[in-house]
Amino acid sequence: MSERIFVTGATSLLGRTVVDHLQARGDEVTCFQRHVDTRYRSIAGDIRDAELLTRSAKGHSAVIHLAALVAPKPAFSEAMEVNVTGAVNVAHAARDSGRLVHISSPSVAFTGHGAIGAPTHAPTYRGIDAYAHTKALGEEAVLEVGGLTTLVIRPHLVYGPGDEQLIGRLLDRALHHRLALPGSGAALIDTTYVDDAASAIVSALDRTADSPELSGRSYVVSGGDPRPIKEVVSAIVSAFGLNPRLRSLPSGLAMGLGKAFDRWWRGDEPPLTEFAVQQLRLAHSFDLRATKHDLRFQPQWSFDQAMAALADFARSQAGHEFLNRRRNRSRS
Amino acid sequence: MPTMTGPDPAMLEAAGLDKTWSRFVTFTTEAGRSVTWHVLDTGMQSSTTQTLVCVHGNPTWSYLFTDLLRTLSPDWRVIAIDQSGMGYSERTGPRRLAERIDELVAFCQQVVTGPLSFAAHDWGGPVAVGACGRLDVQALILANTAVAKPDDVAVPPLISLSRRFVDLSCRRTASFVHGTSLMTTKEHRHALNAPYRSATRRASVADFVADIPLENDHPSRAALDEVGRIFDGLTIPILLLWGAHDMVFHDRFLSDLRRRQPQATVERFENSGHLVLLDGNVGPTVAHWLHHRSSMGPTSLPAAEVIGEDHSFSSAFSSVERNSTNHELLYQGPDGTLSWIQLAERAAVAAGVLASAGVVKGSRVALLIPPSPDLLVAVAGLWHLGAIPVVVDPSSGLRALRRQLRAQAPTAVLGTRSALAAATVLRWTPGARRLTFGAMVGALNLKTPQGKPPMPVNLSAEDLAAIVHTSGATGPAKAVAYTHGALVAQRSPIEELLGNAKDGALTTSFAAFSLLAPALERSFIRPRVPIDQPSKLGFEELSALTSAHRVSVAWLSPASARQLVATAKGRHLRIARILLAGAPISPSLATAVADVSQAVVLSPYGMTECLPITDGVGAGEQHHSGGVVVGQPVSGAVVLLRNLSNGDRDVHAGQLGELLVAAPWMYASYDQRHLANEAASVFIDGVRFHATGDVGIIDEGRVIVLGRLRDVIHTADRRVAPLEVETPLSQKLHEQVAVVGVGPVGAEVAVAVVNAKNRTLKLAATELAALARSASPIPLAAVLIGKLAVDHRHQSKVDHAQLKRAATALLNGA
Repeated sequence: MSERIFVTGATSLLGRTVVDHLQARGDEVTCFQRHVDTRYRSIAGDIRDAELLTRSAKGHSAVIHLAALVAPKPAFSEAMEVNVTGAVNVAHAARDSGRLVHISSPSVAFTGHGAIGAPTHAPTYRGIDAYAHTKALGEEAVLEVGGLTTLVIRPHLVYGPGDEQLIGRLLDRALHHRLALPGSGAALIDTTYVDDAASAIVSALDRTADSPELSGRSYVVSGGDPRPIKEVVSAIVSAFGLNPRLRSLPSGLAMGLGKAFDRWWRGDEPPLTEFAVQQLRLAHSFDLRATKHDLRFQPQWSFDQAMAALADFARSQAGHEFLNRRRNRSRS
Repeated sequence: MPTMTGPDPAMLEAAGLDKTWSRFVTFTTEAGRSVTWHVLDTGMQSSTTQTLVCVHGNPTWSYLFTDLLRTLSPDWRVIAIDQSGMGYSERTGPRRLAERIDELVAFCQQVVTGPLSFAAHDWGGPVAVGACGRLDVQALILANTAVAKPDDVAVPPLISLSRRFVDLSCRRTASFVHGTSLMTTKEHRHALNAPYRSATRRASVADFVADIPLENDHPSRAALDEVGRIFDGLTIPILLLWGAHDMVFHDRFLSDLRRRQPQATVERFENSGHLVLLDGNVGPTVAHWLHHRSSMGPTSLPAAEVIGEDHSFSSAFSSVERNSTNHELLYQGPDGTLSWIQLAERAAVAAGVLASAGVVKGSRVALLIPPSPDLLVAVAGLWHLGAIPVVVDPSSGLRALRRQLRAQAPTAVLGTRSALAAATVLRWTPGARRLTFGAMVGALNLKTPQGKPPMPVNLSAEDLAAIVHTSGATGPAKAVAYTHGALVAQRSPIEELLGNAKDGALTTSFAAFSLLAPALERSFIRPRVPIDQPSKLGFEELSALTSAHRVSVAWLSPASARQLVATAKGRHLRIARILLAGAPISPSLATAVADVSQAVVLSPYGMTECLPITDGVGAGEQHHSGGVVVGQPVSGAVVLLRNLSNGDRDVHAGQLGELLVAAPWMYASYDQRHLANEAASVFIDGVRFHATGDVGIIDEGRVIVLGRLRDVIHTADRRVAPLEVETPLSQKLHEQVAVVGVGPVGAEVAVAVVNAKNRTLKLAATELAALARSASPIPLAAVLIGKLAVDHRHQSKVDHAQLKRAATALLNGA
């Protein structure tokens, strides 16, 4: 039976993929984002505009909230407005449909320690990283909104063809020969191919309908096939035919630099932050048993299969354009 | 009656105790005296069926039983009492042992309803045992206590010192109280000291010490003697909990208790001391024992084959008696030769020397003698007397050796001069008679010993024959007890393995196996390589042995087998049969050994607890599971599988399970390890099976071993045995590979470690990682390289637990 789904933040790679999955199975999708996208039925708007949101979301059977401020170093006040106030607005707007899937991030539970096979913890992060901090507050705030069934999905390191966030940045650094990792590079990290993340979100959407008892729970999602971070970075860069040579930065030095940049850097994108160094040097892999069981979700993309898909993309016309765009930008 | 204050409720709650358990009870003794005690009483609940009354010693109080109070309630009503003048009970005048017993009896009669059991510690032990003589008691639990001072044990210096300066040490200062509380961890110290803060409150501590009857004319002497008699006559189940590091109630006191009550169950806590009840985590043991004590029973496979048709039993010693006029050489080695007749004669002389040193039937005697003719003589001499040789593994390290020896509290130690010097200096065997083997050999050389040698004692199949030790590759080595029945039963399956070449001699790189020579009535040739270096036993040495001594069977460890292959250089060893044992033998090694020897190569399955289990046929065969084919069970042995997820026996063909074995020649028990015995024993249709801790499959009646249960990788999808992954990887990479799981059990991911020179683990190069992944049947999260640490005894088993810790640390990042 086809449904009418309201999706915020559908412009990202993950957002587009979720919409594709929904449309492929016959659902009718309305996208709410800052700029109209002619490919989809979309409404231009800002999630900070509660009134517009509520009006736009009316008449849908469920809401998927992907929109967030993910700039590397956003101003804290702006991040609060989007990731907390905006998220609460979406939750209130979703009350009309009674079903919400809120997309969060595993970083909301970051403790400063590495963890292999970590369970899903409460969103307690209150650190210097504005994104993780405000997403943590946002997750808490959204779950406090009553009157609807809410599930929280925290996908870990989502990537796929055309991804600007993770792959784009890695390629930029590889092109500048600035590819470096703090510590041994052995930290085991989970990654999530975009199709797996999207299908987990769609599964969660269905569970808000048939398993309301799960309401209020959060689930980390990943491909469940972790690798040492050095292998992840090398494999991605190699898939685009670039030199995967990685420099190793002593952990202590990297932490020092990250702290210094946190404090003194005034530009948009600092070369390094303390939070980023922590994320790169410590293990981040997750225990997916509850996710798989409750959401009835099974990852379909092993790390090697995902890398093969990425290499296919790199060889395609779109892949060449993706890389050339970055190459030209780095020359200019 | 003055108002009395109980312990600080916050202190009780901090220890996990319910503050309402603390209360005062007034009762009247037979002599008409009113007594008020403070108790911690968990009370009667709907599910309560029995009561355990706990009696502390000096200078502790009911708090000592915190663990039992928390663990046993509400199934049990646990009442821990504070004795008169102690803890928070009424401060009274001095109490003699007899009066303390009177009070406990009166308390139980007036307060306890339903079945009653006791737990007691230190000087609470004699009080509880004394009360057992006058009450109907169901079970008795004693911890680090005594019912008498054994004659050959000196008064512990701490006690005699405290006695001499009793008022100063116990009352005027808190040194006795503080000294005791210092024996446990910080968290308990404050609570232990709390009731004894002033000299007035400590008066009874001093009185208690003064009441220890060290002298024969002491007023409490008669009462203590009576306690000893009561204990000897008890027929109820007894559990002895023993902290190994106790300066006062040390192992000699435990031996005394065990001598008086040989049926008592013992749980020894190697890392605990006097206050074992607080820091030994005794709760699980006690709960388990109380729950199961009635259903326990030593049941093994029928001993009919052991005892023989006419039901007369011949012990492991009988072959020596039978061959006492045989001039053939039983043992030949670089350290001398020994004929049957020499063995019989010397064993009789040794028995005489040992008997004069106080060794009797049932005595445990530690052997610090390397495998040699002397060792054979010593063992035969001990069996002549019905004594129990304790075989320790000198290669397990000084600490382990000390622990093994002290736990056995042997009556005597036999050893070389240097070994005995070490035993003395390092206090391995306090209180034991030390006999240098030189002295015995001296006596042997006299030819005509003083007096007639004692007659061989009669033994039954159930009598303990020997204590050996596990290799300790997985946790501290356990003492394994064998009966004479088991040793006699072992003969036939080993004969089956050695084959029909009856006249040929046996050689082995396992020096300790030379002990089998008399039982097998087969000549044993010891190779000329150091005992602790089996890897030195190569082609040259073996080939010299076979040509000089008609050796037909060689029993080799993996290290020797590898050396044999490495040094063969195209030559062939002329030998009928080679047995490979000690660790799962890879098919490639078995094939290589067959190639250089043209012998029948077998890799039978066995372990310290049960040897052999299978016939070893099929060594060298590649099994699709990656496991090692060890053949079919030898006749008399039974091998079953236990389901890994639910412990049931519904394991279908080809499915991985834990291997359970039973055989008449299996070990009797782990010595002094109640919980370990319980964990390793599985009763199926009334037969005791040993849970091996190994996993495998059974394929058309053949047993395939796939590694250790604790090394099984439990991923989100399934359980994977180490060899399922290690075998294909090792074959592909031509290097030893170990695979471990990291992460939480049930969501582990597999990590392969390829053997390399570097001691610290690191990531493998991209190409090696890709190659390893291509050969692996399961996803590998990471491929690492590093030196694989192997066990000292076999130089073959990889310590997966240690590797797992190292891999986890690396992959956690830093």
